[in-house]
Amino acid sequence: MVELTPSFLMDYESLDKEHQALADIVNLVVEAIDGDDAGKCKTLLPEFVKAAKRHFANEEALLVKIGYPNVKKHQKHHRSLNTKMDHMIEFANMAGENQLARDSLRRELVFFLMDDIITTDMDFKAFIEEKAKTGEA
Amino acid sequence: MKGLHVIGVSHAYGDTQVLNSVSMMIPAGELVCLLGPSGSGKTTLLRLAAGLERLQHGQILINDQVVADAHMHVPPEGRGIGLMFQDYALFPHLSIIENVTFGLFGQPKDKARRHAMEMLDQVGMTAHAENHPHMLSGGQQQRVALARALAPEPNLLLLDEPFSGLDTNMRGQIREETQSVLKASGVATVMVTHDPEEAMFMADWIKILGNNGSILQSGRPHEIYYHPQHEFVAKLFGLMNRFVGVVKDGYVEIPIGKVGAKGMDDGRRVEVLVRPEGVLLESNGANGAPLDVVSTHLLGHDNIVRVRLTADNVAPEERNLYVRIHHTFEPELSKRITADVEADYAFIFPLDGAGDVAEASYASTPQPEAAK
Ligand SMILES: Nc1ncnc2c1ncn2[C@@H]1O[C@H](COP(=O)(O)OP(=O)(O)O)[C@@H](O)[C@H]1O
Ligand SMILES: [Fe+2]
Ligand SMILES: [Fe+2]
Ligand SMILES: [Mg+2]
Repeated sequence: MVELTPSFLMDYESLDKEHQALADIVNLVVEAIDGDDAGKCKTLLPEFVKAAKRHFANEEALLVKIGYPNVKKHQKHHRSLNTKMDHMIEFANMAGENQLARDSLRRELVFFLMDDIITTDMDFKAFIEEKAKTGEA
Repeated sequence: MKGLHVIGVSHAYGDTQVLNSVSMMIPAGELVCLLGPSGSGKTTLLRLAAGLERLQHGQILINDQVVADAHMHVPPEGRGIGLMFQDYALFPHLSIIENVTFGLFGQPKDKARRHAMEMLDQVGMTAHAENHPHMLSGGQQQRVALARALAPEPNLLLLDEPFSGLDTNMRGQIREETQSVLKASGVATVMVTHDPEEAMFMADWIKILGNNGSILQSGRPHEIYYHPQHEFVAKLFGLMNRFVGVVKDGYVEIPIGKVGAKGMDDGRRVEVLVRPEGVLLESNGANGAPLDVVSTHLLGHDNIVRVRLTADNVAPEERNLYVRIHHTFEPELSKRITADVEADYAFIFPLDGAGDVAEASYASTPQPEAAK
């Protein structure tokens, strides 16, 4: 199970909400795999990918709006995650029948959310905090 | 969440910046290899996680406890970590069992001893409990060091090039044993290495630390090998054949065929890197680029074959290629041999804008109301 303990919070409501919504789907996937119901992953993963892409777009719009200087780099980072999402969809489609696909999906999804998505966002946490103080974010 | 959480860690020695805003999360139970060239700051990062070095910038948490940030520094013994460092040898004056009980000072003596014997059993070293380190081989000492690191049941295990002192024969076996002991222990492990093969073999997850002291890519070994997102990452795994071309109608033409350039604009100048196993040789093939075999080098299971493309229109610097091929391959000198590219092993990077990735698109629906 993943848990957004304090070091995973951006302390910015809309972003934390969306990260939490992604974490909720990850936990449904983990539950499905552990509960011998991995067939569900086939529908959960497209849902996760859709939510992740929507989140990336929202986050990028926010970063542009508040003038975050490294926004291009972060956009590029988001784009670079496309291959991983494609692979996770493939794993999810096979998760019902295949142990290796289940193991890979679970590992990949947890790293994806906690490391690739949230931990990387910490790069601009301080910037958002500053902007929030002056009312610009 | 349980595991190691590193956030925005930067580090400099004097004027030399070694780590550049490194962030990572390693969940409990996962074995992650940090792979990077010598001098990229791997040992520095482990020393910071261990508390052997003072953190200059950022934050480090172990199992949700802050162990280092701008205001605090938990000493190594307070972090619940196990260490196996290059230069972190066994204590020569202590017996094997004393070495393993060393970290269990809080426990009653006989309980500590019983536990240490269990650990030695896990690594197959109980028969040597009363011996001293100098009586053991390098591989045996390594097993004892692993038992010693795991005995206090750490939250996190940090391994710095743990197999680099072993000879090649021993290394494979010890790697495998170490991997199974770690899997059984379920502890979060960060292992540092500069050896790509070692990382591929050991890790569930690889993180690449580049020369600029920042993480360039992370993922399953398969992903790092087949989908490198930086030229640097692609080149880590040894020999590469390099071509330069221009994207046209979604493809790049190189002397040994066409490679798809998904998501790249027409007219963009690119570099195409092809792994030696991505050059396919064919005897008496109708298509493909004609070549001469220059030499063959048997490397155990594989041959590395040096070839020279013979067509007139090939640029001199793109003529000489390395090909990896099954060891049973023997070039038949009487036959015409040709080469073709296998797209799975070919990677394209834009030449303008270093470290760029293909900007494949996703439906982007920016919502101005993202702000709260
Ligand atoms: N205590 C130190 N004082 C000064 N420079 C150091 C010190 N430790 C390491 N360095 C330098 O920092 C860089 C990174 O070192 P290190 O973390 O040991 O890299 P790696 O383990 O990846 O080989 C190297 O250039 C090294 O010379
Ligand atoms: Fe985010
Ligand atoms: Fe993000
Ligand atoms: Mg080192």
